[in-house]
Amino acid sequence: MTESPVGLRIFARRTLLLAAVLILAGLVLAAVLLSTDNPVVLLSIFSTRFLGIFIEAVPFLLLGTLVSGLLEVFVRPEDIARYVPRRALPATLVGTLMGFAFPVCECGVVPVVRRLFHKGLPMSVGVTFLLAAPVMNPIVLASTIAAFGFGPVLIGRFVITLVVAGGVGLVFAFGARPQEILQPQSLMPVMGGGTDVCPTPAPRPGLWSGFHQAFEHAIDEFFEMGRDLIIGSLLAAAMQTLISQEVLLALGRGPVVSVLVMQVLAFVLSVCSTVDAFLALAFVGTFTGGSILAFLTFGPMVDIKSTLMFLGVFKRKTVLYLILLPLLMTLLIGIWTNLNVNL
Amino acid sequence: MEAAEHLHEHDHNHEHGVPVQEILKTALLIGLGLYFVVLIATGSLTNYINVRFSWLSYVAALIFLLLGATSAVRLMQSRRHDHHPHEHQHDHDPEHGSISWAALAVIAVPLVLGTLIPSRPLGAAAVDSELSANNIGGDVTAAFNIPPEQRNILDWVRALNAAEDPATLNGQTVDVVGFVYRGEAYTSDQFLVARFTISCCVADAVAIGLPVAWPEDLPLDAWVRVRGQFVPGDFQGETRPVIQPTRVELVEQPEHPYLYP
Repeated sequence: MTESPVGLRIFARRTLLLAAVLILAGLVLAAVLLSTDNPVVLLSIFSTRFLGIFIEAVPFLLLGTLVSGLLEVFVRPEDIARYVPRRALPATLVGTLMGFAFPVCECGVVPVVRRLFHKGLPMSVGVTFLLAAPVMNPIVLASTIAAFGFGPVLIGRFVITLVVAGGVGLVFAFGARPQEILQPQSLMPVMGGGTDVCPTPAPRPGLWSGFHQAFEHAIDEFFEMGRDLIIGSLLAAAMQTLISQEVLLALGRGPVVSVLVMQVLAFVLSVCSTVDAFLALAFVGTFTGGSILAFLTFGPMVDIKSTLMFLGVFKRKTVLYLILLPLLMTLLIGIWTNLNVNL
Repeated sequence: MEAAEHLHEHDHNHEHGVPVQEILKTALLIGLGLYFVVLIATGSLTNYINVRFSWLSYVAALIFLLLGATSAVRLMQSRRHDHHPHEHQHDHDPEHGSISWAALAVIAVPLVLGTLIPSRPLGAAAVDSELSANNIGGDVTAAFNIPPEQRNILDWVRALNAAEDPATLNGQTVDVVGFVYRGEAYTSDQFLVARFTISCCVADAVAIGLPVAWPEDLPLDAWVRVRGQFVPGDFQGETRPVIQPTRVELVEQPEHPYLYP
């Protein structure tokens, strides 16, 4: 093997990032050149729209990274795994709600789940937690309320996540053994120094050095997730500013097409679940309610970033299930919502 | 093999003595913190988000500056210890900490746009196609409890939507502030005194407006105070109350350019 998974992942991410930036720049340039409006005015509107999303979203992103850093340093997944029931049904239910005790977004959830599996957490709970945690946590709750208020979108987001994550978890509860699902290294005991297996927990740090470590962790995470937030916000602002309302409505009004478009967008943008609600806002006027819900539920479960991380933990076939099951379930729920509920 | 590559990635910054990426990261964090401080201090924060959420920007400024300070401390320690920068184990994703130059450039985008492009609220040029005022949420009937001369554009739009017969509002006194918007099909003696409403941030901005019958030419996008009363009129082929002003004056942009439903 010439390419290690880590090298390959870094390479794939950088290529994707570069491609995204280039496509975005090309689209913006083409739209500005084709538009009859004054480019300076367009740039000013674009800048206001972009900064609006960024300024509203970034506090939640920062809080998320801080919480993640504090968890990383002070709390062990094992502390929580101890209280998980062993029977499939109650365990799966606990898995869906565990995110409230252990708030991680989709970027942080995979390493945590790997560590939980290592500690013997049942497969179904792990898979459920993996899919549910990016939404089922207090920071996402707060940002979704800030964006949409207390209403159907908020309730829909949490209920759909509960149903889909719990459903997929139960599929795994009754149909799978860990050896068939996990990559061998996720099953094996710790190997010192390896980066792709669970590391040896360091001794718990003191309060002061613990805070310092948590902040350093938050810095690293901010630069990674901030990048995705900014690319996502640039795209949303460009879309609002440069693409005409008629084109958007043509895409966004179809009960099926709109859901598929928003799912692809959620997958490609890979915006952290703590702030994706603010991006979804940009689509509310033009896209169907079901497609907004699909964006807010499918995106946190599966996107480019989490798929690449899944591949480090699960076998390929499992990763396929982890993508396809939530995709189909949120697609069907999104279409059903469009046909039956007036959001 | 993986471990070796990880180490290589991590040491990359320190190979040339000066950890340029670390310096840039520190500068970006402090810069973003200061940007938020400036937004708050100058009041231009209200160009972007609902004032209800401005406390979040205080939080952001604080966290950015704290992270910037942490990063600066890390930088100084790593220079002091030279090639032994980290005592503790980084046990998270290997890509953390070693990000590409492209990613750093992306993080700089908000700072660049925020400082180079003058901060302006959305105005007439951002109004997309025809104004639709039907999806304004909130307590629609509450608008009737406000005395007419104190209603803003949002209150009026709600009152017009909620009234069984909008014509009942004719004769009421109007005193509103908004920007001048003119659609392509408008006749030369009419314009819309318009505002954007936002519930969260400009991503959900919706433009609303009231038709005004006024023969004098006003610059597009200018902020105006319109005083007068509603009279029966014709606007875009529809018979509806139209403002017949006694006075239209140019005013400063209000402190809060958007209305909050």
